[in-house]
Amino acid sequence: MSLTDLIYLSQKSLRSNILRSVLTSLGIIIGVSSVITMISIGSGARQEVEEQIERFGSNNLILRSQSSSNRGVSMGANSINTLTLKDMEALKNELPAISAIAPRVSLSTQIIANGNNWLATVTGTTNDYFNLGNWKFELGRSFQDDELDSGSRVAIIGKTVQKNLFGTDSPIDEVIRINKVPFTVIGLLDAKGGTAWADLDDTIVVPLKTAKQRLVAKKFPGDQIRSMTINVSSSDLLFKTEKDIDTVMRKLHKISANGNPDFVIRNYAQFLNARQESSRVMSILLATVAGISLIVGGIGIMNIMLVTVTERTKEIGVCMSVGAKKRDILLQFLIESLMISLIGGLIGIGLGLGVIFGVSEYFNWKMSLDYFSLVLSFVFSSSIGIIFGFYPARKAANLNPIDALRYE
Amino acid sequence: MIKIDSISKEYVMGDNKLLALNNVNVSILNGEFVSIMGSSGSGKSTLMNIIGCLDVPSSGDYFFKDENISNFNANKLAELRNREIGFIFQNFNLLPRLNALENVVLPLLYSGKNQKERNNLALKALENVGLKDRIHHRPNQLSGGQQQRVSIARAIAGSPKLILADEPTGALDSKTSIEIMKILNDLNAKGITVVLVTHEDDIAKYASRIIKMKDGQIIEDKKNVPN
Ligand SMILES: Nc1ncnc2c1ncn2[C@@H]1O[C@H](COP(=O)(O)OP(=O)(O)O)[C@@H](O)[C@H]1O
Ligand SMILES: [Mg+2]
Repeated sequence: MSLTDLIYLSQKSLRSNILRSVLTSLGIIIGVSSVITMISIGSGARQEVEEQIERFGSNNLILRSQSSSNRGVSMGANSINTLTLKDMEALKNELPAISAIAPRVSLSTQIIANGNNWLATVTGTTNDYFNLGNWKFELGRSFQDDELDSGSRVAIIGKTVQKNLFGTDSPIDEVIRINKVPFTVIGLLDAKGGTAWADLDDTIVVPLKTAKQRLVAKKFPGDQIRSMTINVSSSDLLFKTEKDIDTVMRKLHKISANGNPDFVIRNYAQFLNARQESSRVMSILLATVAGISLIVGGIGIMNIMLVTVTERTKEIGVCMSVGAKKRDILLQFLIESLMISLIGGLIGIGLGLGVIFGVSEYFNWKMSLDYFSLVLSFVFSSSIGIIFGFYPARKAANLNPIDALRYE
Repeated sequence: MIKIDSISKEYVMGDNKLLALNNVNVSILNGEFVSIMGSSGSGKSTLMNIIGCLDVPSSGDYFFKDENISNFNANKLAELRNREIGFIFQNFNLLPRLNALENVVLPLLYSGKNQKERNNLALKALENVGLKDRIHHRPNQLSGGQQQRVSIARAIAGSPKLILADEPTGALDSKTSIEIMKILNDLNAKGITVVLVTHEDDIAKYASRIIKMKDGQIIEDKKNVPN
C-alpha cells in the first residue's frame, strides 16, 4: 500500500469528523505557536543585544560626573564637573583590568559650513574614543599624535552632519566653523543609525586639547572633563572593575563609603543583561506552556485515536478480511494521528506568526523569525503525532481478524 | 482444494468450555459449489472463518492447495486471504465513507497493484455484477441488493479461487436473494469454488453438494442436483 493511498484513506476519515480532528489538535496548536513565539522572542533579544554591543562597544563602563544634592542647589546636569584627567590617570595606574580610557568633553553648538547651518553635539576626545565606541571611518582618518598634542583645528564628522552641511559631497578637507572657530574636516564616520534616545550620527569629534582650549575653556577649566568611557579587558572583570572604580574614585574625591558620590558609573552591559534576562524569563514561561500543551495535545491525540480504533474495529476487521496486514493497519492509524498533529502544527505556525507580528507591532519588541523554529515545530508536532499515535495504532494492528469482524 | 483434518475449535469463557467445532473432517474440491446448512449455533460460521483463514483452529490441520497452513503467521494468512479468498457477508461489511469503486479497490490496495490496474480490475468486477452505473455511490446511497453486489464485486476483484459467503441473502428479500444466487452460480460456472452458509433450503439448493451440521459436527454430506 503506497503512502498516497494511506494519506487518501486517512484524510477521508479525518474529513468525516473535521470538528473532532481540529479540537483534537488544539493542544498541538497552542504548543507549536508557543514554541515559535518563544524562539523568536529569544533570538530577537539576542539579536538586539548583539546590535547594541556592535553600536556601543562591549565591556565598556561610562564614568561621568554628577552634581550631588548635598552640594547645595543643583545647577543642571552640566554645571559641576568633578572629573579630571588626573582621575583618569589614577584609574589607569591603579586598575590593571582597565585596558583603555577615552576622556570626553562636549557641547552642543552651531556649526556653519558651505552656507549651511546645523546644531550638533561636539565631542573633544582622543583616538581611543573611536576604538571603544566601535566607530568605523567611511572616509579620511583619525587624529594624528601631533594633532592631539598641539591642539590642531581638525574635526571628524558623522553622517547626519555631513548630510545637513554637504549633502552627499565628500566633506574631507572642507572647513567648518564650530562656534565661529574654523576646523578642517579630516574624517567621515560610518553611519550607526539612531537609538530610541538619540541620533548617534549627529556628531562632531575634535581633539580633546583643541576642544578644551578653543570651545569649552570656560565650561571645563583646568583638566576637568565631562566623562570617560572605560574599557575593561574582559567581560568577566566588568562588575569587579565597576566596584574597584567606585572605591578608587571615592578615595580620590575623599568621599566616605556611604557618602553621596559626585560621580556615577553606567554599566551598559547591565542594561543588556536585564533585557536578555527578561526575555529569557518570558521564553522559559512559553517553553513551559509549549511543553505542557504539547504533552496534553499528545494525550488528546492518543485518546481520540483510541476512540477511533474502537469505533472502527469492525472496519479494521473488514480490511483484514480482504488482506490488510498488521503493518497496513498500523501505518493507516499512524498516518491519521500524524495528520492530526501536522494540521495542528500548521495552524499553530499560523497562530504563532500572528502573535509574533502582533507583539512586535504593538510592543515594538524586536522579534526575529527564523526558519529553524518552523522546522522545529514541524519536527515537534509530527513526533508528537507518531509517539502518541503509536499505542492506539498498534492496538488496532494487533486485533484478531475474526474478533474485529464480529465486533458490534 | 481444501482439506480440513480433524479440526476442533474450543471457546473458553471463564470456567465454561464450548466446543464450537468437534473433530470436523471435510474436503472441498476445486470448482465445487457447497452449501453448509444447520441450525443457529451449530458451528457453520466458525467453520467458514477457519476455511477463510480469519480464525485458527484449536487443534487439527488445515491444508489449502495441499499446503498445511496451520502454522502460517498472521501476515502469511493475510496474504493468502488477499490472493486466494473472497468473502461475502450477511451484512455486506462495506466501508461507509468509501464509494462503491473505492470499496472494490480496497483488496487491490493491499496486493500492491498500481492505480490504473486497480481501477480497471475494480470496474470490471462492478460490471460483472451489473453495477457499472453506481460506482460513485456510497453504501448508504445503495439498496441492500446493490450493496451485496458491491461486496461480491469486492470479493472477486482480485480473481480469487475461493468465494466464501456466510448467509449472503440473510438480509435480503427473496427476489433480490435470487439475483445474488444467480451471480454466485455464474461465478461457479466460471470455475470458482463457492462455499455458502445458509439455513434456507431454497438457497442451499443452488449448490452441487450440501453439508449439514449440528453441535459442531457434520451430520450429513451429500450431492445435490441444482435446479
Ligand atoms: N468468539 C466466540 N466466543 C465464544 N463463543 C463463540 C464465539 N464464536 C462463536 N461462539 C459459539 O460457538 C458456537 C457456534 O457459533 P457459530 O459458528 O457462529 O454458529 P452458526 O454460524 O452456525 O450460527 C455458538 O454456540 C456460539 O455461541
Ligand atoms: Mg453464523
